[in-house]
Amino acid sequence: MSVAPAPAVVPRPPDRLRSEGRNWSTLLFLGPAAVLLIVFLVYPTIYTIILSFNRGRRGEFSSWVGLKNYQDLLGNDPDFLDLSHFPPSGALFNNVLWIIFYVGFVLFLGLVVAVMATRVRYESIIKAIVFVPMAVAATALGIIWLFVYSPDPNIGLVNSILGVAHVGPISFLGDTAWVNAALIAVGVWGSVGFATVILSAAIKAIPTEIMEAARTDGANERQIFTRIIVPMVSLPMSVLAVTLIVNVIKLFDLIFVMTGGGPGSASRVVAFTMYQESFPSGQFGKGAAVAVVMLIILVPLMIFNLRRFRTAAVT
Amino acid sequence: MTRAGAFAGDIVRPKPRTTSERLVRAINKTPIHIALALIGLIWLAPTVGLLVTSFRPRGDIQSTGWWETIFTLRFTLENYEQVLTAQGGMLGAFVNSVLISVPSTILPLVLASGAAYAFSWLHFPLRDTLFLIVVALLMVPVQLAFIPLLNLFRPLGWTQGFLAIWLAHTAYALPFGIFLLRNFFITLPKDLIEAARIDGSSNIGIFRNIVVPLSVPAIAAYGIFQFLWVWNDLLMSLVFVQTGSNFPMTRQVQNLLGQYGTEWHLLAAGAFVLMAVPLIVFFSLQRYFVQGLLAGSVK
Amino acid sequence: MARFLRGTTLVVVSALLMACSNGGGTAAPAASTGGASPAASASGAADSGGTGANAGATISVTSLWGGAEQENFQKVLDAFTAKTGIKTKYESIRTQYDTVLQTRISGGNPPDVSIMPGIGFLRRFAADGSIKKIKDLGIDPASIAGNYAPGILEIGKVGEDQYGIMVKFNSKSTFWYRPQKLKDAGVDVPKDWDALKDVISKLKAKGDKPLGLGAKDSWTLTDWFESIYVRQAGPEAYDKLFSKDGDWNDASVQTAIKTMLEVLNDDNVVGGINGALGAAFTDGIGQVFSASPKADMYYEGGFVGGIITGQVNKSAKLGTDADWFDFPSINGNSGVTIGGDVIAALTDKPGVKEFMQYMTTPESGEVWAKTGAIISPIKSVSPDVYPNEQTKREAAQVANATAVRFDGSDLLPSGSPDLGALLQSALKGQDLAPLLQTFQTKVKSAWDAEAS
Repeated sequence: MSVAPAPAVVPRPPDRLRSEGRNWSTLLFLGPAAVLLIVFLVYPTIYTIILSFNRGRRGEFSSWVGLKNYQDLLGNDPDFLDLSHFPPSGALFNNVLWIIFYVGFVLFLGLVVAVMATRVRYESIIKAIVFVPMAVAATALGIIWLFVYSPDPNIGLVNSILGVAHVGPISFLGDTAWVNAALIAVGVWGSVGFATVILSAAIKAIPTEIMEAARTDGANERQIFTRIIVPMVSLPMSVLAVTLIVNVIKLFDLIFVMTGGGPGSASRVVAFTMYQESFPSGQFGKGAAVAVVMLIILVPLMIFNLRRFRTAAVT
Repeated sequence: MTRAGAFAGDIVRPKPRTTSERLVRAINKTPIHIALALIGLIWLAPTVGLLVTSFRPRGDIQSTGWWETIFTLRFTLENYEQVLTAQGGMLGAFVNSVLISVPSTILPLVLASGAAYAFSWLHFPLRDTLFLIVVALLMVPVQLAFIPLLNLFRPLGWTQGFLAIWLAHTAYALPFGIFLLRNFFITLPKDLIEAARIDGSSNIGIFRNIVVPLSVPAIAAYGIFQFLWVWNDLLMSLVFVQTGSNFPMTRQVQNLLGQYGTEWHLLAAGAFVLMAVPLIVFFSLQRYFVQGLLAGSVK
Repeated sequence: MARFLRGTTLVVVSALLMACSNGGGTAAPAASTGGASPAASASGAADSGGTGANAGATISVTSLWGGAEQENFQKVLDAFTAKTGIKTKYESIRTQYDTVLQTRISGGNPPDVSIMPGIGFLRRFAADGSIKKIKDLGIDPASIAGNYAPGILEIGKVGEDQYGIMVKFNSKSTFWYRPQKLKDAGVDVPKDWDALKDVISKLKAKGDKPLGLGAKDSWTLTDWFESIYVRQAGPEAYDKLFSKDGDWNDASVQTAIKTMLEVLNDDNVVGGINGALGAAFTDGIGQVFSASPKADMYYEGGFVGGIITGQVNKSAKLGTDADWFDFPSINGNSGVTIGGDVIAALTDKPGVKEFMQYMTTPESGEVWAKTGAIISPIKSVSPDVYPNEQTKREAAQVANATAVRFDGSDLLPSGSPDLGALLQSALKGQDLAPLLQTFQTKVKSAWDAEAS
């Protein structure tokens, strides 16, 4: 593309003025965002960290308690962490369950659906169907599945199917043995679409020459899958995994709408505990401590992401 | 970056020529078709079930399953009517959702674009460090902000109207937006921008005349994301929207959950009123949505 | 694109202006105050009835009532406005009541008067300094003490100070049943626990399922437990259990739960325990009183009557199709448990004092009692005001009781573990000792936290 020839002699503004002009407009571009970020993210984070060392009546700095909130939380709160039996229980442990099963199934199903979809002509329809839950509010997702899980076989789809086999009815959300599995299933249902779309694009980006060569060499579908596809999508998968794990730590809406952490406190997760300790219980200091624990868990993930993007930032 | 050329998804094997070849091909693919059909079913059934339920009379809902509707074909609009018009109905909440979502989408778009531009094409000290800090802020969970901000806003009275939630949504959208758009902006042709600089164009001019026009797909994708996210939000509105008459639909549906028993006929209709707009947005703008997702993740 | 940005700026600026200019929503007016506004302004217009200070002021009142309950309460609000000229704006907050209340307090936007979501919450908000003491409003607690039976006002006290006032309650000692079924089985209404078990076996002999149970709403189980405990262990032990000195590991607790399980088991309950755990509270009522009933008796509070005729089976007639007997005595002891609501003032704006005062008068009690939905705690409200025999008897039951106790689980601190969930586990046959041990730990730390 052609560039207009630079005029022969044009007085350039003195360098000092030029860089000042640059600073002024930079401020204009960055300023509003910076203000909002500082007020809404940085300030509350600092506030919360300080609050975690406080009793926090009404959410204010009512009285200093040092490390007491953390001690209570990690040592004396079976709802948060109960190491007294095996397997352990508590909200923190539930997040671990989610990380293992939710992330695992989303990645697995996402990949499988993505691969299968590339083989059929109605690929985009399948991807759209699976993706729809992503567009839907967690509240609505909760309602949809409350309905599906209903213990009344005349209402709940799952229990009516079980009824045909003369099993149940099972109160999926009311039974501590089932509730976490049931919730994780809903989470997976809601997120597979996201993984499918990303992984599908990643698969399509695999150079065809490699696939051709493998087929010519006589590799069957399973080998192509494990030896070529999986390694080549491992990078997007790792990004996806980190994103999903971050989602798990911040998971709140679904639990809030479907079970309120119940029955009892069986389905609580960390972010829900933060809410529960703060608002219903009024222990804002303890809630802040939970939030700090959440942040601490997120730090390694932060560092991982930053390392990845440091390379991109330098370009 | 591997974007060029044919995609691996294209079947690399030669197209079937004869009928028997086609038959063999189809049979080989049958397990896939079955599996995908099953998946389609699992992913459609719950939503369809609720949709059908929302049109059924209350008595029917409690006595028979929605799948039996095929036999009776009894439908009604009264659930929707009740949900939309009843005291604390969804119609008012719908308007509120719009009033909350639109500014909460436009404002972040503007601010994030500006900041992303600065991070990609302007030079200032500590630029890359600050960018990393912004990315780090992605991790901050929204719950942290509630008490400190409520205490802050109290003397200002911002929670009475919509100002608090607009600003809150904007602020929490910024890390992702700046990240996404900056990653897009740096792919813009460098010479174009350099040329404009040499021509004496100001930074604002470059932003307005070059960067934004070339970035419409990415900005649009981000806008769609943000709109859906705000529309579907419950938590922020739980805390920052304090006046009952300002509740968006996500809040209002909660009220339908009620105190005694579950009124499925109302819940189902309410849920669908809540879902209607996002689903419409999603289906009509699907392309941008997917593009946007990919813009930041697959390089 | 320049146009795009200019247009954007325009929208943003105008939006900001709009937000700053009006404090309230520009949306459809008062979506959740619904019936309140027109009614309030209607009676405001008929202002000539309003005398005294602060006529014309408006106060905001919130509670978690909706539907029929809200309509009934609205009548009280209207009567107040008619009498004083002070307008009321009612907001119904159906879910997350405690959270919304707290965020509004933190946001500097509290309602003027609020129903408290429980006594634990009353104590917490009082300790936070978010509620006004009654005496600070200018009302002398001693002067209103005479309106109530002994013990009623105490429920609204935190420490030595009066913060909340009970405005309505229902008996939780009403055992609902279908009279025809007992007649068919040839049994009388049971007076004590053994007689109850006898009635149950006779009903079973007739091929019926004796009990409906909505155990999914676990608070129904807490009512069973409390009714049994107060009779079995006595009112003093009951008071102790639901205080910071309570010991849930005590043998009396296990005894009470086991007694409960004597009657609540797979044989006696419709759908078995599994089915009961999936049934909500109103489903349970429906199991017994709907047009196609599956069981004969249902234990819950006095409000069941209204729910039967209003919601579950509009053609049912109280007295013939549904009636109640006193929860059976145990070892000769009976005591009445009640569940009720207290209101508290969060601000002292003009009109608040008048409203709180009004809610202690027999007039307010009568307006509400006439709806038949509640029993008024105000002594001088005449029993004739109640619209049907069932509510009249309910009022009399409480008035004549030897011991009256407030719903225990409502007395526990906010942030306590869920007693209902524990009872659900007990129903499923889980081992009681470890459950109670954990419960004791958690409830003790909730009590400690409240005090700190």
